[in-house]
Amino acid sequence: MNKLQTFTPSPARPAPENTVGPAVWLKNNLFSTPLDTVATLLLGYILLTILPGVIDWLFLSANWTGDSQDACVNDGACWVFVSAWSQQFFYGSYPTDELWRVNLSIAMLVVIIAASYQFEKGVREKIIIPLFLLLPVISIAILDGSYLGLERVSTDLWGGFSLNVLLAAASIIVAFPLGFIWALGRRSHMPFARSISIILIEFFRGVPVLALFFMGSVMLPLFFPEGTSVDKLVRVWIVLILFMAGYMAEVFRGGFNAIPQGQYEAADSLGLSYWQKTVLIILPQVIKVSMPNILATFVMLFKNTTFLLIIGIFEMLSTTQTALSNSRWLGGHAEEGYIFVAVVFWTVCFSMSMIATNIERKLNTDHQ
Amino acid sequence: MNVPQNQASTKKVAFFNNPANRAVIYQALLMVGLGYFFYTIISNTLANMEARGIKSGFDFLWGTAGFDILMSLIPYEPTDTYGRTFIVGMLNTVLVSSIGIVLSTVVGFVMGVAYFSHNWLIRKIATVYVETFRNIPLLLQVFFWYFAVLSALPSARQSLSLGEAIFLNVRGLYLPDAVGEPGSGVVYAAIAVAIAAIALLRRWAKRRQALTGKQFPLLYATLGLLLGLPLIAFLLMGMPFHWDYPALKGFNFQGGITIIPELMALALALTIYAGAFIAEAVRAGVQSVPHGQTEAARSLGMKEKQIMNLIVVPQAMRVITPVLNSEYQSLVKNSTLSTAIGYPDLFTVFVGTTLNQTGQAIEIVFMTMAVYFVFNMLISVAMNLFNKRVALVTK
Repeated sequence: MNKLQTFTPSPARPAPENTVGPAVWLKNNLFSTPLDTVATLLLGYILLTILPGVIDWLFLSANWTGDSQDACVNDGACWVFVSAWSQQFFYGSYPTDELWRVNLSIAMLVVIIAASYQFEKGVREKIIIPLFLLLPVISIAILDGSYLGLERVSTDLWGGFSLNVLLAAASIIVAFPLGFIWALGRRSHMPFARSISIILIEFFRGVPVLALFFMGSVMLPLFFPEGTSVDKLVRVWIVLILFMAGYMAEVFRGGFNAIPQGQYEAADSLGLSYWQKTVLIILPQVIKVSMPNILATFVMLFKNTTFLLIIGIFEMLSTTQTALSNSRWLGGHAEEGYIFVAVVFWTVCFSMSMIATNIERKLNTDHQ
Repeated sequence: MNVPQNQASTKKVAFFNNPANRAVIYQALLMVGLGYFFYTIISNTLANMEARGIKSGFDFLWGTAGFDILMSLIPYEPTDTYGRTFIVGMLNTVLVSSIGIVLSTVVGFVMGVAYFSHNWLIRKIATVYVETFRNIPLLLQVFFWYFAVLSALPSARQSLSLGEAIFLNVRGLYLPDAVGEPGSGVVYAAIAVAIAAIALLRRWAKRRQALTGKQFPLLYATLGLLLGLPLIAFLLMGMPFHWDYPALKGFNFQGGITIIPELMALALALTIYAGAFIAEAVRAGVQSVPHGQTEAARSLGMKEKQIMNLIVVPQAMRVITPVLNSEYQSLVKNSTLSTAIGYPDLFTVFVGTTLNQTGQAIEIVFMTMAVYFVFNMLISVAMNLFNKRVALVTK
């Protein structure tokens, strides 16, 4: 018998030098072709000339402490402006002693949103959803105060970023079911109901939201019986709900189209009624597939709450404009103010679009 | 229905369980409800208008406006009618929307394609651009450009200038204007002829390629026709144009074309905002093309540029076009933010000043809504026609 040959593995060879390492990364990603090199150098030069100045202005030589304009002695940004006005930016002119009410409203919103992630399905359906629908009413009662025996705070004093958040949330909570009904109407076989839904959806989507706000502030008072005056904020809320419902209906329509016909047929063959079929079988699937678009629509609504400035509602951008024209702060702090508002909105909107992207990725099971 | 199956055909369905009957009842209820709703609204409105002494009807359109408008594309005097303010405003809306649509498409496509660049720096810049400007409210961007950037420009005397022909200062951007002399009509005609010739040439070249496979250098022919014909006409007619340069006279510039800062700020904000959304759509569109398409094209020996132009982009357009449609529509709707900085578009002039002076809210708001509605319809029709051309043809 032959002696068995022993297998001696040769040691693994190192990776070829020209495929790993920072130098190769640089070559592949920044200097792969002559044109690339030119672009990199040009862009790099531009960034290097602009960025140091911007960073210096934003952070290094910025003024951070103090409580009046005189504290801004350095050349950089005057963040004192932002800190001095921060209460107005977030709460508008809401009385300082009553700020807990605004905080409570926002905390309730956050808790309910968090709870809807935590609890199981049964609790969610029976408790969280009714809570969501009640939230606008409860918040209004708390913020206004007169129904609860608290000191009444007129809606003229509501404002700031909290108003942006609460208005957007209160609008989408009501617009969600309304939009779903419009979307159902659009798919309905009843010709009259269908045409009404189409008219509503296309009207509220096709008209600039600013025109709708003007309609709300100039025309809605004419629609109510003589002598009744409806609060400006409520009128704006109605407009936002209708506008949002139009967009939501269109989002839901896309969701409906993504549900396979078999789901309807299966529900029919189980003998479910129309509403059982719609609420138990179709709605959960529609919400699931349209979640990224629902979030995108909500981001749009949230950004559009700044448009309220034009009809004189003191949302965040509006309080910024007021602060900028204040006689004790006439040093031209527009950049600081706008950058601060931009950062606040950007943080909220960007996190929501990140969530939307994640959901989309989870839902997308295609092979790429 | 819980009727046993063998009896279903014989036993009559209860009246209310018949879907047809139900539909009639539901719709009748809806109709009655809506009828009551509109009746209340209209009677309330009429009562309110009478109580407040508001006139109705469109007679106000022939009344004298009496106010000046910052910028007008057609001749306008304060003695003109309210009807004319409507036209002036509408044209200004068309102007800023068209500028926005063209520029945002360019910016969007450049940034969307830049996302796929081999260059890390370019990729990052595209990502940062999209994620930054998409998530900041448009009104804030308008304010930023108008109040923070453009109002920080130097005064007229210290204008930034480019070759003593283009001036930029706090009052606006001043460009030289090419003024036509007698004979300039021939040059315009030459441009029209060149465009028609290009369209014909493209059709001919496409048909010839389909029949014989021979390619025609279309790009050079197009450029040659577009530049050559007008140039020949220009030289033949003895150069019938002269430049009207803006010049500092007194406190301000005279002559040339003036672009007011309101227009600049609004157009800039709309372009950058919509451009970010379009870039995102282009990115999604290019990513939606399966990788196998690129690989197949590469294995056929196509060049990278050909792969992009002939394989990837035509397929990506199917995803991009519907988004472009809605982005263009929201750009037109968002141009109403003009009213925040006073750019005299339809919204500022008509819903702003004219409404304040006449008080006829219902007519004015509905006329304005109708105009935006029609603009959006036109965009939608145009984009749907375009979509038909790029849509996937399944056989």
